[in-house]
Amino acid sequence: MEFMYKALKKVIWLYANAREKFSPGWITKNSSRIREWELMAYAYSKSPIGVVGGIIVFVVFILSVIGPMISWEPYWEYKIVINESYRYMPPCLPPSCSGNPLLGTDEWGRDVLAMSLYGMRISFVISIVVVLLGAPLGIILGLLAGYKGGLIDEVLMRVTDIFLAFPGLVLAIAFASVLPQRLRGVLEANSALRVFFASLFGLREAEYGQIAALLSIWFAMVIVWWPGYARIVRGSTLSVKEMPFIEAAKLSGLSTWSILFRHLLPNVISPILVMMTFDIATATLFAAALSFLGLGPQEPVPELGFMISKAGQFFPERSSHVVIYLGSLLLFIAIGWNLLGDALRDILDPRTRRAIEYRLEKEKKKRG
Amino acid sequence: MGMASFLVRRFLTFIPTLIGVLLITYLIAYAIPADPVRAWVGEKLMNPQTLEQIRVKYKFNAPWYEQFTFLVQQLLTGQLEDPVRHRNVFTEITSRFGVTVEVAIVGFLFLVAIGIPLGLLAAVFKDTPVDFAVRIMALVGSSLPAFVLYYFLILLLFVYTKTTYLAGIPEPTMACKTTISTLPHNTPILGHLASALGSVPMFSAIMCGEFNVVVDTFKRLYLPGLALGLLNGGFIARIVRNSLLDALSAEFILYGKARGLRRLSVWKHALKNAMVPVVTVLGLNFGGLLSGAIIAETVFNIPGIGRYMYEAIMRLNFPVIIACTFLVAVIYVTVNLVVDILYAVIDPRIRY
Amino acid sequence: MIVFYMDNNLYLPENEILRVEDLVVKFYTYAGVVHAVSGVSFYVKNGEAIALVGETGCGKTVTTRAITRLIESPGRVESGRALFRRPNGVVVDLLKVDPETLREIRGKEIAYIFQDPTSALDPLYTIGFHIHETIAEHSKNIKKKYTFKKAVELLRQALIPNPEVRVKNYPHEMSGGMRQRSVIAISLSNSPRLLIADEPTTNLDVTIQAQILDLLRGLQEQYKMGVILITHNLGIVAEMANRVYVMYAGKIVEEGTTEQIFYNPQHPYTKLLLRAVPDPTKRVEKLESIPGVVPSLINPPLGCRFHPRCPFATTKCASEEPPMIQVENEHRVSCWLFEKS
Repeated sequence: MEFMYKALKKVIWLYANAREKFSPGWITKNSSRIREWELMAYAYSKSPIGVVGGIIVFVVFILSVIGPMISWEPYWEYKIVINESYRYMPPCLPPSCSGNPLLGTDEWGRDVLAMSLYGMRISFVISIVVVLLGAPLGIILGLLAGYKGGLIDEVLMRVTDIFLAFPGLVLAIAFASVLPQRLRGVLEANSALRVFFASLFGLREAEYGQIAALLSIWFAMVIVWWPGYARIVRGSTLSVKEMPFIEAAKLSGLSTWSILFRHLLPNVISPILVMMTFDIATATLFAAALSFLGLGPQEPVPELGFMISKAGQFFPERSSHVVIYLGSLLLFIAIGWNLLGDALRDILDPRTRRAIEYRLEKEKKKRG
Repeated sequence: MGMASFLVRRFLTFIPTLIGVLLITYLIAYAIPADPVRAWVGEKLMNPQTLEQIRVKYKFNAPWYEQFTFLVQQLLTGQLEDPVRHRNVFTEITSRFGVTVEVAIVGFLFLVAIGIPLGLLAAVFKDTPVDFAVRIMALVGSSLPAFVLYYFLILLLFVYTKTTYLAGIPEPTMACKTTISTLPHNTPILGHLASALGSVPMFSAIMCGEFNVVVDTFKRLYLPGLALGLLNGGFIARIVRNSLLDALSAEFILYGKARGLRRLSVWKHALKNAMVPVVTVLGLNFGGLLSGAIIAETVFNIPGIGRYMYEAIMRLNFPVIIACTFLVAVIYVTVNLVVDILYAVIDPRIRY
Repeated sequence: MIVFYMDNNLYLPENEILRVEDLVVKFYTYAGVVHAVSGVSFYVKNGEAIALVGETGCGKTVTTRAITRLIESPGRVESGRALFRRPNGVVVDLLKVDPETLREIRGKEIAYIFQDPTSALDPLYTIGFHIHETIAEHSKNIKKKYTFKKAVELLRQALIPNPEVRVKNYPHEMSGGMRQRSVIAISLSNSPRLLIADEPTTNLDVTIQAQILDLLRGLQEQYKMGVILITHNLGIVAEMANRVYVMYAGKIVEEGTTEQIFYNPQHPYTKLLLRAVPDPTKRVEKLESIPGVVPSLINPPLGCRFHPRCPFATTKCASEEPPMIQVENEHRVSCWLFEKS
């Protein structure tokens, strides 16, 4: 898996050189950091679980980005209108397909494979953005609560508790049933927003009602997502802030924000990065579960969970191929992120890096 | 600080949490632009007079804070009514929660039966194919969309092999139910306790000695239980494995060996120390199950609290939503408290 | 069984309780093979205290743990013998004895005082339970009532105030010195024949150190135990030990009685080590230290392991390992400087 290491190394140096251009001397100043990154890249390339996870995530990423563009069937055209026999066509083996879709069709006679390309984009965007919005919110609040203590801590933790005491699914359901009508109005009025979100989800502008439903799931999930991070970050901040280097930073008159972000954050971030990776998988499944319950977008939007729930009504007699394929697709997406997270946990552990450093040095010595 | 003052302090922190949960639920409900009363009554009974009556009854014309205090007051005095079914919300919740408790118990048993042995195996056979298999199982379990697993379990164990059924929930005999419901009149405190426990059909069956009902309950619910066990068992196994390995590498284990302890005693030390994180995760998992597994209840056709909540939300049934979220929040804080107390029981270093 | 252990090869002089010969321990780590202990030999006479002295990481702890097979993966005892005389007079090789016999010996006949009492005690159990367990696992039909009475007595012997109360304390409820004394009490639960005390006084105040040393010495006389004391503190050695083994990088470089080592040190390392101890009666401008660093035990230096830091090193030192050379009665040193041509 040498290629993985080489590719990652290239990325690291690309970044380093870019920084060098903006602030000359950056590379020499940060040589030990770059070295650390290279070691991480090496450790990663040596972990089969991580490499498999990385490849899956990469494939999912590429398919999600280009999916709606290369999809050969528009999701808004129902073939059953032409001929009822298009409904739930079974999958076929290539030589005998004679133009029929490889993985069969869904309730509306649409090619399941083509639909899943749209679906992947939707679930990818939702899961990534939920974690990228929820985690920083939780991290900032957790850092603040842990570092400031006292009243701020008490208030922030009570609020966190309130949101944790809410079952995630219920809160999300509540949001999903409240928000769409409001968001619909906003989208209706603002064509720039409409275009932006339509292209983000790979849908048509005309589906702004469905986009509003997607956005409300999205919003609900962000609200559900941050408290977990706030709690964990607060916990580790409490232990890190007792360390002498924080005392030193305080004595040297640094501002609270720079202590929080330059000194506390780097010391609590590793487990958070791992958690974020796992959470992308969880968010993917969570969003699918919400649509499965019928809380997300409706027809014709080919959301993965929603399509499964539709096919589930005729399971297993007519629609098992849809459930199997889309279910495996969700499993594939989630397991990619989970494998990556599992490997990241090892890589971000400094002990692993020291071990690898040792071994590399020895190999270097042997070569002379 | 003693246990008593710890409990008092914890109960005090419950109050803002519970009020906060209620307030947020209410605010979400209030923000709904649709007319809830129409949703409650349905299209058929569009009699303007009835609508107005309901509006007045639930103070929809009053300012929001009056509505809110009205709801909370009704909630705390136990008078809240389900406007769709026209029954007391608590009677509805009690019967449904009993079923959810049964699902939670069966699911929890599967979770423990799958997670703990696998975790112990993975720790004993660390870095072998067994360990790797458990790791993969945990990863697949947390990557599998729950509803897809449910479908396939139904296909395998219901459609093909007919080893279970998906309708109704086994109940004890009428005579048994009557006996238990009259208990509070005879023995005040114990009787109330027994009748509260008796709202879980399985428990009242046990109290009456109708064990065939218990067996039937397991037959009916083992499928969702197995599904919940399979989904989270791998994760539990990883926690068991990691905390056991942590404990086994502790210096006091080596010192135990140096003191010539038998292998069994050395393991006793390791297992007890490994229990703290496992108890936390198991406790929180059980709490999660008690709050109702909405998807599992939908797919397996179980009339539990999760589905009640889901239906209530779909029909904008605020009184039920508020009562259910309140219940879930109470479960959450209680489970957290129980976990903390268990901690203190296991680990003498934790004193409050 | 007994016939097997009375094998002729297992000869141990009548006045000795333990004799370790050519002990080799290696750790197979990811970074390479660590030669932690390379051919260490020593013996302990009945009721005698010996000291293993050396810098941190020189293999003192590993040596003593290897004797009772407490080395865990990735470590492995490669070769050597550890002859031990059991109370019934039978001599066994601790490195070969079956696990059940080994378990009987551990904690009953050979007791340990671990370096760090905080991590050696299980935080979830009381001190009394630790003692109870240590006794009960080595005898049949012992009542908890009896062992707890015994525990109180042991704690009192270990100079713990209020032993009736302390016996019910958990480790975290005690101070460091108290915990150390508790570990000593636990170790003495079964009146062992040999006590291995691994840095029994590190991390303690000087006054408590003195108390604990007095305590150990008193108990040693009372129980007639052999003691192996591991320390890097030469003051403690002078106070407690009859004989001293100086270790460097996994080997013994000098051995002798305490007087011989202190008043007539031979090995350059011993000399430097003694010079590094500041004399409290004199004013010093600069503390002495031994130049250079402790060598890596993954690639230990060829020849004498001390030669890179030795002021007297010759070319021979860098290529050939020095043998143990007798310089006085009971005083031997591993250094080419004393080679009799």
